[in-house]
Amino acid sequence: MKRFKNLLQKEVKELVTKQLVISLAFTVLLFNAIGQISKKEVQKAVGIQTISVLDQDGSEGSRALLKGLESARFKIVDQTGKGKDEALASAKAGESKLLLVVPAGFGDSLAELKPSEIETYSFMRSFSLIGARGQVVVQSVISALNETLSNNFLAAKLPGADPVSLKRPIKSRDFVVVRDRTAEGSAGLIAGMLSQQSMLIPIVLMMIVIYSSQMVISAVAMEKQNKTLETLLTVPIKRTSIITAKMFAAGLVGLISAGVYMFAFKGFIGGMGEEVAAAGARASGTALMQKLGLTFDTTGYLILGLSLFLAILVALAMAMILGVLAEDFRSAQNMIMPLMFMVMIPYFISLFADIDTLSLPVKILVLAIPFSHPFLVSQNIYLGHYGMIAAGLGYMLLVFIVLVIYAARIFSTDKILTMKLRFGKKKAPAA
Amino acid sequence: MSNVLTVRGLKKSYGAHAALAGIDFEVRAGEVFALIGPNGAGKTTTLRIAATLLTSTAGEITFLDRDLRKEPDFVREKISYLPEEAGAYKDMKGMDYLRFMAGFYGRDAGEEKEFVERAAAITELGNRLKTKVGTYSKGMTRKLLLARALMTRPVLAILDEPTSGLDVLNALDVREIIRRYVKEGTSVLLSSHNMLEIEFLSDRVGLIDKGRILDTGTPDELKAKHAAKNLEEVFRSSLR
Repeated sequence: MKRFKNLLQKEVKELVTKQLVISLAFTVLLFNAIGQISKKEVQKAVGIQTISVLDQDGSEGSRALLKGLESARFKIVDQTGKGKDEALASAKAGESKLLLVVPAGFGDSLAELKPSEIETYSFMRSFSLIGARGQVVVQSVISALNETLSNNFLAAKLPGADPVSLKRPIKSRDFVVVRDRTAEGSAGLIAGMLSQQSMLIPIVLMMIVIYSSQMVISAVAMEKQNKTLETLLTVPIKRTSIITAKMFAAGLVGLISAGVYMFAFKGFIGGMGEEVAAAGARASGTALMQKLGLTFDTTGYLILGLSLFLAILVALAMAMILGVLAEDFRSAQNMIMPLMFMVMIPYFISLFADIDTLSLPVKILVLAIPFSHPFLVSQNIYLGHYGMIAAGLGYMLLVFIVLVIYAARIFSTDKILTMKLRFGKKKAPAA
Repeated sequence: MSNVLTVRGLKKSYGAHAALAGIDFEVRAGEVFALIGPNGAGKTTTLRIAATLLTSTAGEITFLDRDLRKEPDFVREKISYLPEEAGAYKDMKGMDYLRFMAGFYGRDAGEEKEFVERAAAITELGNRLKTKVGTYSKGMTRKLLLARALMTRPVLAILDEPTSGLDVLNALDVREIIRRYVKEGTSVLLSSHNMLEIEFLSDRVGLIDKGRILDTGTPDELKAKHAAKNLEEVFRSSLR
């Protein structure tokens, strides 16, 4: 144990370099700064916005429209009295994000309940989504006005009838059924919220796998490059302890690094997300998910944690073998690529498709990748597919055991010194 | 004199290439046994097998009468190996490197301290031990590594080309350090293609070429047998 501790300390010290600490600190600061800037931009976008209005009608109807816009926190620059081109030029030169033209006869058409047109000219000074938000709000104001006007008309023409029922005679009540539970709500909302939640798992997994694996590969490759491996292999410490110490140190430092990056990333996303998020919809979605039992209890979190832990172990064991294949630190950088692809394939498939509905050969291929299983574990917990969960966990454990046995075999035999992945050139064995 | 290391019919193949074609020799207690031969003769392979780094394809190799293949952990406790192209961790300070290596051998903090102090004395690097290994010259690094190899007073020190790439003064220092430790009880198995160095250092010599031992004996015995003035001439005569 004393020897293992001695080696573990050295491994951790080697990995926690000044460069790593500076890079982590820089990332946290940078992401936070970007998050703060984004937050300010979002606040600006959802705050009071300036639009220009050319009211060529001047009727009661057009005034009601403008009043509606004012109450929707728009600062209105009145361009009345100008021609359309002149109003466009003037609005474009100013701060307005949009010019709204209410043509003559707008009010009369409304009174007669004929279709009335207005024109909007959005000035796209940038192509960000936030930049186009002005027009979205104007459209929602118009939609609200349409609703009020048609309701007023129906009430006048058909007294005693409910305008809302008249316009939408068929009403649907939506229910979602998950396993043995049923609750009223939208399936789309549930799917959206679940996908938002499960997005975090692949990001965390990718971060940890990539950081930890890179560290293990580099740790082995650096021993080779610095010509310290041969000496280390002849000191009185078990070869399995060498593997464990390297994997443990890399896993630990990789986990901490990934945690710091996730914290930084949260600062970045938090800056953008909070203000725009529809808090109400989220609250009702959460209540719906609770009713349907789509929440994790302690066992659920334990299973998810175990799945992520096994995936990390598999990645570390693979990285250990890849590290042996690398001749030096530079080639170690390329060795991470196969691992990255193995994590990215299930990640992208889970983004765009449902693994369950894939064709059988593709499904087998995806399930053969050990890193696919943590992606599936949360939906399997929700759906109660415990057999699938157990099979996934068992498969990852089996892959890990096979890889560790193979890694131990490499470290205990000549392979540790003779196994190399060479591209093109052949080298004679040692004299 | 009892044997520390006994090698009988040792073979090692890499695929179709036979690096060792069945060699026999022994290292006796308190002696320096040197394998000499040209590049590719099989010296490093032999040393790596003796150091438990490689496994033999056939033959027997015993350390203190124990089978080296069956009990590598026992062997690693009592030997030390200095590879030809060995390096030390560049980001570590010299003293930290010695402490790290002593951590594998010392039974307690006191013994580790004793090893480190001994190694520091061997290196003669003084305050430079407080600086990073990456800043050392080749000679300084080699002395540090040799000190690491000898600090535990191993039963057998396996030294592959111990003075390789060193200037005359550093090479002389290294040879003197080796001789001193042999007097204190450590046996040495070393390899070199520098025949003059071998003549100065070794008690007995094994001439090796193409994976076979051509002849074994003390330098004087070999010179007399081959009617040669030095080991270089002995080696040329053996090849004929």
